[in-house]
Amino acid sequence: MRLRTFGIALLVASIALAGSLALVGCAGSGSSGNTVKIGWFGPLTGDSALWGQAEFNTFKMMADDYNAAGGIDVGGKKYKIEAIGYDDKGDSTEAVNVAKRLITQDKVSAIVGPQGSGEAIPIVPIANENKIPVVATTATNPKVTVADDGSVNPYMYRACFTDPYQGKVAAFYAFQKLGKKSAAILMTIDDPYSAGLSQYFKEAFEKLGGKVVEEVSFTSGEKDFRAPLTKIKAAKPDIIFMPNYYNDVALSARQARDLGIDQVLLGGDGWPSENLIELAGNALEGGYFINHLDFDGAAAKPFRDEYKTKYQKNAELNSYMVHDALVMVIDAIKRAKSIKGEDIKKALDTCDLQAATGANGDTMTNPITGHIKIGPNHDPVGKTAWLTKIIGPDMKFQESFAAEE
Amino acid sequence: MLQFVQQLVNGLSIGSIYALMAVGYSLVYSIMNFSNFAHGSVIMLGAYFGFFAMRLLGLPFAVAVLVAAAGTALVAVVLERLAYKPLRDRKAPFLYFIITAMGASIFIDNFVIATIGPTPKMYPDVFGQGPIILGDIAIGRVDLAMFAISAVCLAALIVFIDHTRLGKAIQATAYNMKASALMGINPSFVIILVFAIGGALAGIAGVLYGMKYQVFPQIGAITLKSFIAAVFGGLGSLPGALLGALLLGLIETFVSGYLSTQYRDLIAFIILIAMLVVRPSGIMGKSSEDKA
Repeated sequence: MRLRTFGIALLVASIALAGSLALVGCAGSGSSGNTVKIGWFGPLTGDSALWGQAEFNTFKMMADDYNAAGGIDVGGKKYKIEAIGYDDKGDSTEAVNVAKRLITQDKVSAIVGPQGSGEAIPIVPIANENKIPVVATTATNPKVTVADDGSVNPYMYRACFTDPYQGKVAAFYAFQKLGKKSAAILMTIDDPYSAGLSQYFKEAFEKLGGKVVEEVSFTSGEKDFRAPLTKIKAAKPDIIFMPNYYNDVALSARQARDLGIDQVLLGGDGWPSENLIELAGNALEGGYFINHLDFDGAAAKPFRDEYKTKYQKNAELNSYMVHDALVMVIDAIKRAKSIKGEDIKKALDTCDLQAATGANGDTMTNPITGHIKIGPNHDPVGKTAWLTKIIGPDMKFQESFAAEE
Repeated sequence: MLQFVQQLVNGLSIGSIYALMAVGYSLVYSIMNFSNFAHGSVIMLGAYFGFFAMRLLGLPFAVAVLVAAAGTALVAVVLERLAYKPLRDRKAPFLYFIITAMGASIFIDNFVIATIGPTPKMYPDVFGQGPIILGDIAIGRVDLAMFAISAVCLAALIVFIDHTRLGKAIQATAYNMKASALMGINPSFVIILVFAIGGALAGIAGVLYGMKYQVFPQIGAITLKSFIAAVFGGLGSLPGALLGALLLGLIETFVSGYLSTQYRDLIAFIILIAMLVVRPSGIMGKSSEDKA
């Protein structure tokens, strides 16, 4: 009987919890006078909630900053920003729902986010039909901005570099800078990000004259990588490319070391995470990965400090990416002298913002993650990729690249 | 050749985990005649018990294993009393037991996600770092420890079942619950005993799994594999579960190593289905007799 009471209490508690989570979704800052509504969506609950919350916090913080400075200048008039954000739960169906809600009910002028390609691709038709520009944050899949038939999605943009670019940079660094002539790849076969990045790396590495000696894969959720890793061990590559997410990277790196594999490991932007080193122990020592910025750099410092002071937490990669996406939108609104989606889109087409230095508050107007010049495919062209090395418990920035497309 | 030996080591190390899990399944099946699908969740709890015993209480590894085993034995017995006994008292059909087991499993998994959270956790390195290298073959320290601990547990279990009075009581109950009750064996006591033993083995398996990989709320999913191993070897047969588990571990590793990982589960399940068609009682199963 007592157990039943406990069960009911638990049920009530879980319903209350679910209810409170559903309410987190909306947080506006209604104000009188001229306002421009900007929307954001991303995962505030679920597996990727950490990144989504980092984005939403940044989005609200920056809107407050712009408003505190008097708002933004639109054709001589000052406009306040109304920041509206919703939870997409990291789910593609939910992404479509909240994108529609932002555009048709809230009537936003532009959207920043989402972070995942899986959520960005399904909203392409909504953005195009309603003529509302969307600037995705970390969605690196080419299909976000370019449709299957090769035509550019007119209202889709992104603040990050793409997977083909990332693969090219990884191949270039491995072959030219580290002097590795042969590589093996361990990829997640059922994940488009991982499979795509592997393909781009392989193409670029072989074009440079390198040889991919072994390509092995696993399926998402796998915990034992020993069988494919043993194949890699037998192939004796100079370097091992692991274009996977941090948890799989940590586990597979540990198991690789357990098998006596001592080659250098290399990865993409799926690696950076607060938990990576904790989970991997020293298995990733000396490994390299490609990041979107240098976390410790001067450009990032003022923003990083402000975020830390306000939220008592470290800014995540996604904080910087949504920062830059919003900077792109604000810049476009100012240059368009309009808050109409069509006009903002035209201004985004000619976006060319120099990287912030971190001095004189230029992070309010310039991107932190590098020079952003929107190319014909609506991707930043020649965007800086930041090679980072794992040394002990730290991720140390090595050098930045801006390869040609 | 070297790769072959290395894959053999890999396969045995996976197989020995499956074995500890499959034995628990088989033991309960032999008495209750139903598949306890909540076993996986008990294993997962064992991994967390061991983790917290080491990380929070700072207990040494050996003590943490015992704490985890005791904790999961208790959980398994409580589960039996709360979830299965009422069904048994009402002589419910077997389907109800299976559905109840699945329900209990979903409850436990989500309870852990809600209270502890979904982030994976890492055991401390108790066996030291770096593999043991023999020529070109690398053997992980955790794998070696795991193999030894599994072997000791399974040997102890077989001695217990075959050479003690309690073990004989379990065998008798497995053979015929009504007749053994008439001979003075308390079936309720035997059922509790079996759940306690199965639970304790699950706890140990959980700790070992957590050390080999990570601790996370979905560990229970892997027990689907140990269920296959149990069926493969012959549900209800302990040596069968052991053999089935080692064979499954080896088959999986060789398929991923020489064909491709994508074919691994495909082939594992084809073997399961083929086995059920050709020899439904498994490798060591002798239809109804000699189940424990």
